[in-house]
Amino acid sequence: MATLTYLQAISAALRDELRADERVLVMGEDIGVFGGAFKVTDGFVAEFGNDRVMDTPLAESAIIGCAIGAAVVGMRPVCEMQFADFISCGFDQLVNVAGKMHYRQDLAVPITVRLPSGGGFSGGPFHSQNPEALFMHSPGIKVVAPSTAEDAKGLLHAAIRDPNPVCFMEHKHLYRRIKGEVPDEIYETPFTARVARPGSDLVVIAYGAMVEVALQATADLDGASVEVLDLRSLVPLDEAAILDSVARCSKVVIVDEANMTCAAGAQVAALIAEKGFEDLDGPVVRVATPDVPIPFSPPLEQAVLPGVDRVKEACRDLLAY
Amino acid sequence: MSLYRQGKVPGSFYDGYGQEAVSAGAAFAMAPEDRLCILHRDLAAHIIRGVTPARILSQYMGRAAGITRGRDGNVHFGDRRLGCVGMVSMLPDMMLVATGMAMAFKLRGERRCALTWFGDGSTSRGDFHEAMNWAGVQKLPVVFVLENNQYAYSTPLDKQFAVDPIERAAAYGFTGVTVDGNDPEAMFEATLAARRRAVEGDGPTLIEAVTMRMHGHAAHDDMKYVPKEQVEEWRRRDPVERQERRLRELDVDVDALRAEVAAEIEAAATEALAGPMPTADDVLDGVFATEAEPLGDGQAPWSGYAKAAAAGGDA
Amino acid sequence: MTSSRTETLVDVTMPQMGVSVAEGTVVGWRVGVGEAIGAEQTICDISTDKIDTEVPAPVSGVVAEILVEVDQTVEVGTVMARIAVEGDAAPNGDRAPAAPAAEPEPAAAAESAPAADSAPAEDAAPAAAADPAPAAESAPARAHAPGRRYSPVVARIAAEHGIDLSTVEGTGRGGRVRKQDVLAVVNGTGNGHAGGAVEDPPLHIESPYRPDPPAPARAQVGAGGEASGVVTGGATLPRMRRVIGERMKQSLDTAATCTTWIEVDMSRVEAARAKLGVTALAFVARATIDALREHPALNAWLNGEDYARHEFVNLGIAVSLGEDGLIVPVIHNAHELSVEGLAARIKDIARRARARELSADDVLGGTFTITNPGQYGSIMATPIINQPQVGILDLEAVIKRPVVVTDQDGNDSIAIRPMTILGLSWDHRALDGALSAQFLATVKRRLETLPV
Repeated sequence: MATLTYLQAISAALRDELRADERVLVMGEDIGVFGGAFKVTDGFVAEFGNDRVMDTPLAESAIIGCAIGAAVVGMRPVCEMQFADFISCGFDQLVNVAGKMHYRQDLAVPITVRLPSGGGFSGGPFHSQNPEALFMHSPGIKVVAPSTAEDAKGLLHAAIRDPNPVCFMEHKHLYRRIKGEVPDEIYETPFTARVARPGSDLVVIAYGAMVEVALQATADLDGASVEVLDLRSLVPLDEAAILDSVARCSKVVIVDEANMTCAAGAQVAALIAEKGFEDLDGPVVRVATPDVPIPFSPPLEQAVLPGVDRVKEACRDLLAY
Repeated sequence: MSLYRQGKVPGSFYDGYGQEAVSAGAAFAMAPEDRLCILHRDLAAHIIRGVTPARILSQYMGRAAGITRGRDGNVHFGDRRLGCVGMVSMLPDMMLVATGMAMAFKLRGERRCALTWFGDGSTSRGDFHEAMNWAGVQKLPVVFVLENNQYAYSTPLDKQFAVDPIERAAAYGFTGVTVDGNDPEAMFEATLAARRRAVEGDGPTLIEAVTMRMHGHAAHDDMKYVPKEQVEEWRRRDPVERQERRLRELDVDVDALRAEVAAEIEAAATEALAGPMPTADDVLDGVFATEAEPLGDGQAPWSGYAKAAAAGGDA
Repeated sequence: MTSSRTETLVDVTMPQMGVSVAEGTVVGWRVGVGEAIGAEQTICDISTDKIDTEVPAPVSGVVAEILVEVDQTVEVGTVMARIAVEGDAAPNGDRAPAAPAAEPEPAAAAESAPAADSAPAEDAAPAAAADPAPAAESAPARAHAPGRRYSPVVARIAAEHGIDLSTVEGTGRGGRVRKQDVLAVVNGTGNGHAGGAVEDPPLHIESPYRPDPPAPARAQVGAGGEASGVVTGGATLPRMRRVIGERMKQSLDTAATCTTWIEVDMSRVEAARAKLGVTALAFVARATIDALREHPALNAWLNGEDYARHEFVNLGIAVSLGEDGLIVPVIHNAHELSVEGLAARIKDIARRARARELSADDVLGGTFTITNPGQYGSIMATPIINQPQVGILDLEAVIKRPVVVTDQDGNDSIAIRPMTILGLSWDHRALDGALSAQFLATVKRRLETLPV
């Protein structure tokens, strides 16, 4: 066991996989010599060489496409989009080639796409996005989003070992702000949800950076007993855990850092409306970023991203309903 | 085509009529352990890898016995056990997949190559550039076969590029050769040479196979935009007829061969027509894999590569 | 749209509101000919000798005929209207949409605008009691009480435990019943409040004053009569008001009515009610019942020559119906109920009274009455006895006052206590002042010596 930051946990997972499995290779822009834009792969070239820690040309489509090619001849590529936002340049390869390959051709594509996502630090519209919903919507792609250091390592191990394309949403604003106890060995966190704090009056459902926001907003909320459910996995979505929380708490607030329309939370809300109706004691409420590009200047950015105050207010309102 | 006209083939119907040599010649130069990304005009490549006509016809008719079990149509298939990757409609996405396969071969120090076909039209898209660039930068063992059949749907070459793509190979740092796409033996030689270059570590090759699309883009396209003279000119250079002439010169009983093939196709059609349509029972299955098995080797009993190698070509 | 289809006509008849009731008067029609109506929606309001109430439509359909006019009195069983139903119209099919749906109305629960008067004797100007309860139009499909809606989980829990949701206090927005509220009933922890201040929306008859919540601009849609509360010249009082008036007059003419008062220190009551989550009235009711058992002369009927004392106590509780008047539903065998039991029954009969759901038997058989007009600050009253009873107790406001308290050693000091004045009107034909005073003293003693 060691106390690691979220970022260190990701590095640890990559390092362990590179050591344990010669089929694993890490590829992305500036990840080799430079050690990565966020230093996730700092020092990796020294241990694993330029071949397995590959500095690629600036070509997102090729990064994903070549990863696919390598994967179908037996490798386990972990490719990185320097910012999750740039996945749009590789969308075609990910959605049409990787996502649909097994269904059509019975050919597995075991790639992992690491996506440093999320905002909160004046990254502006093209360095702050949370594009996971686009890939939840594309069949054949799994999507996971850890919120703790322990889950960051465990989910990355599981993603790399999964025979399917997996989008690993690593929230860059959590990199150094979240620390936790992380087991030293290789372990795979299952693609399920986790109860971050149990409760009974209301449940806040969140993932990624919003889990911490949810926990803070509801730690001391007029004595109410508020559960926080960390989804962890968006595809597959842990329906059973969601419905279980709804059954016990009957009031739901969903927090999404992504733009509200058709975000992951919308799918969760639809699921609850359809299958959890009998357990509801109030409307399913969503707190999400409105449908605007994430603005750059701090007061603007803070105004749109869901913060502790907005979540608190939504919870208060719903508790009183 | 006749099955299509009888209504037995759902969706669109694409063929590579008049371009057969491009795929036949090139595929013949591939070793079983090489890997192919096969495109919609390249049916011959599938056959050379070992996919039977009956399965191909089942595939076109959307039957359960098709290679994709009805999940994708016409030539969007690739038998993974025979080392073929099934294409997607976005072109030339498969160029990147081939590049990636080559990347893995080089990483692992294997003497193998990857090959992909693509058309003149798709050289306009970004993936062409990204693949050519990446392959050139990393000097990968990949063979890019550009099927220049003069038209991308209705778009002629002069609307497609200002510079012939073959000239751009140099811009990416590797060899480009232009070949008569209707001459299967020329295709074979060029591809074999490219393969040698690849496995020796000398990087990729761009082969421009010059040919003509003798049918419309698909069966629903009547090709009115193609000048009749152009069609006539290319008809005289039909690859199958030319090859037949060569074989006759070598005293091969072409008619018997034709009859044998016709019978085989007939039998295949009968078998395919007898096969059931897929049921929807498992239509939701298989989105995700439970295990990852890599592509397998080609199984065709005849591969020119093996013969050429035996003749003292390559190790 | 429906004329070409086959129709069945279903009768709406004058109901029998009580064994001895033989006729009823139509007071108002809620819909007209040609209008749609849903099953169980109120089609008209009627008035009888015993009780005013609403008549629900037996089926969904379109009103085909109206046969009895407003103010017309007909015998029980008379067909008042007919509803045309299409061949296979399902009972729930064409429910006319509820009018002022707005918030799920807490109906009886949000007794937010208590009528100023309730004690029969008071002549205080009736404040326009915007009593939201009669707005039955807002009843959604499965409402247990008109205007109330319940979330799926609340309905399910109630069904599982056989709980009548109309009796459950709602602590959610607008008085809505939350999951915690119904669970509290299941767990027997009162109405959802583990200690702390009682938050029951007041019935008009309770002491603790609560300010009116901002009254929504909710029109009294056809609420059994005119909603504005303004009586312009040239009109007559509503029938029920007239009947009440006649009875009041009759009582004063019959009995030798006197009133005696006593002050009560309500400290212990206030403490106990906070703990139990019930109202002060419930405590007063229990204390009254105990006192009636000790002084049975107050628990009697005097009908001309006939005089009878009772061992059982059927306790009447006066409930204001706002503009429409007053009614006194009875808790039969109230002596068998604890404070909590009394509180629950009081709530229930008040709700049903406002919802016009009382049966004739609900208002018969009382042996003693308590009236409690609510805390507007009025401190004393001279209530009118409810014939043929011989006594009526009035509970007014609880107000903090400086009082002299004597400690064990006989030292006096000033303390601040919540005080109230109980008034007992009694019939001098049946008893004397001394007895009345003793009765009051007993009530006072019981209230002031509640176990802490």
